[in-house]
Amino acid sequence: MENQTYNYAIVRSFVTWSIIWGLVAVLVGVIVSFQMVDPDLNFPPYLTFGRLRPIHTNAGIYGWGIGMIFATFLYMVQRLCKVPLWSDKLAKFQLWFFNATIIASAVTLLLGYTTSKEYHEMEWPIDVMVVILWVVFAINIIMTILKRKDEQMYISLWYMMAAIIAVAILYIVNAAAVPVSLFKSYSAYAGTNDANVEWWFGHNAVAMVLTAPFLAMFYYFLPKSTGVPIYSHRMSIIAFWSLIFMYLWTGAHHLLWTPVPDWIQTLAMGFSIMLIAPSWGSVFNGYLSMNGQWHQMRENYLVKFLILGITFYGLQTLQGPMQAIRTFSAFIHYTDWVPAHIHLGTMGWVSMICFASIYYLVPRIYGRELYSIPLANLHFWLILVGQLTWSISLWIAGVLQAGMWNAMNSDGSLTYTFMETMVEMYPYWWARAFGGMIYLAGLIVFIYNLYKTAKKGGAIAAQATVVEGRA
Amino acid sequence: MDLASIVYLGVTFGMFVIFVLIVIRTYSKKRKDEGEIAKYQMLDDD
Repeated sequence: MENQTYNYAIVRSFVTWSIIWGLVAVLVGVIVSFQMVDPDLNFPPYLTFGRLRPIHTNAGIYGWGIGMIFATFLYMVQRLCKVPLWSDKLAKFQLWFFNATIIASAVTLLLGYTTSKEYHEMEWPIDVMVVILWVVFAINIIMTILKRKDEQMYISLWYMMAAIIAVAILYIVNAAAVPVSLFKSYSAYAGTNDANVEWWFGHNAVAMVLTAPFLAMFYYFLPKSTGVPIYSHRMSIIAFWSLIFMYLWTGAHHLLWTPVPDWIQTLAMGFSIMLIAPSWGSVFNGYLSMNGQWHQMRENYLVKFLILGITFYGLQTLQGPMQAIRTFSAFIHYTDWVPAHIHLGTMGWVSMICFASIYYLVPRIYGRELYSIPLANLHFWLILVGQLTWSISLWIAGVLQAGMWNAMNSDGSLTYTFMETMVEMYPYWWARAFGGMIYLAGLIVFIYNLYKTAKKGGAIAAQATVVEGRA
Repeated sequence: MDLASIVYLGVTFGMFVIFVLIVIRTYSKKRKDEGEIAKYQMLDDD
């Protein structure tokens, strides 16, 4: 069989390292959530909220998210193109360079080296490492696609290529800077231009790191899990192109009510609302693919993760455009509503799809059945309850916060001081920390289940097709 | 509007035209089978 030459060992290694970085991200997230309710838990200079928060976000997005993108892309590209990887050596280099980059990022952020650009905090030497890493990855994926056996490319390959190309452009443009020492640089842009480029990057990191690759995974792992094809491939293609055309204009919705030109803000607002269409194109495609298969929500734990994941995607892509409307943004921006929105995506959409992908991959990369499906179900409920506790508590907090900030007395003075609004947040911040703890418990159950699978899971026939690779 | 905003909107409109052409091509009756074949092929490989 053709698959005898597929390199699954590299996939297994990336899955393992992604889980390690994901655990770091959630653990640090829980720590910073407790630092919010008890400032005495800050231990300067290294273990303060200001230094740990970017470690939480970068470990989550780049360690867990990008790590899983590497793992699943390297798996999917082989299966969808029906050919082995173009270069196993490049993939192996990519694995260790990825870990070196993540470690270098964590260490420098802890030491206080930062560009202060959100989601792009790492200083210029690490930018160089990221670019090398991405180019190596891009070459391997694109060269593998070029030697594919089927002429027609499945939708996942389209999303993969878009993510690879777009991330390269976004990262390099936003990283443009003038180094003044080994760990200090100044942005090549100034003032509102700098802000505009930063949020063009920032929002499209959401698009091309946290959306397109996970749609590629969803479109691959849903039909593989249910055993039936997606509802419409042509609809997925249209949703893909409309998402690609629209997303790149929306970054300025992070800069509403700022000195950025008004027409750019309006254009970003308009495109943000239009984005509902392609986003829900994928959501409907997912739901319609379940026609006649909804019983699998009870019987197939993979489907639960995937359908809840796409549901969170749908909710987030309705909430996001609403937040991009000027009037609503004026009310809700800078409140705790916004992190709740982001975590709906990261803890709900992105991580649900990652967990489903890993559960699907486990029998194939370990050659063993999953150790315990009841534990997988427990994992599902813990992360669902943890995530909802997290987000709902902060949505309420955000509305309360915005209401108090905007409240005015009849003479035009503010009704509440800033400190009074802070004190009101404490119950919700406790609920957030509690939700994070539940989510962490779910993650630990997941890791335990995988550990037991690797050690004791029942061997399956599929292992005959799993060949020890070179990673 | 200054030149920059006209160029910005012009590029936006140009991309919209390209998008319309993609929609027309994807949903042309002649390409119906070709457009859907990949979803069946991806299930074959296992």
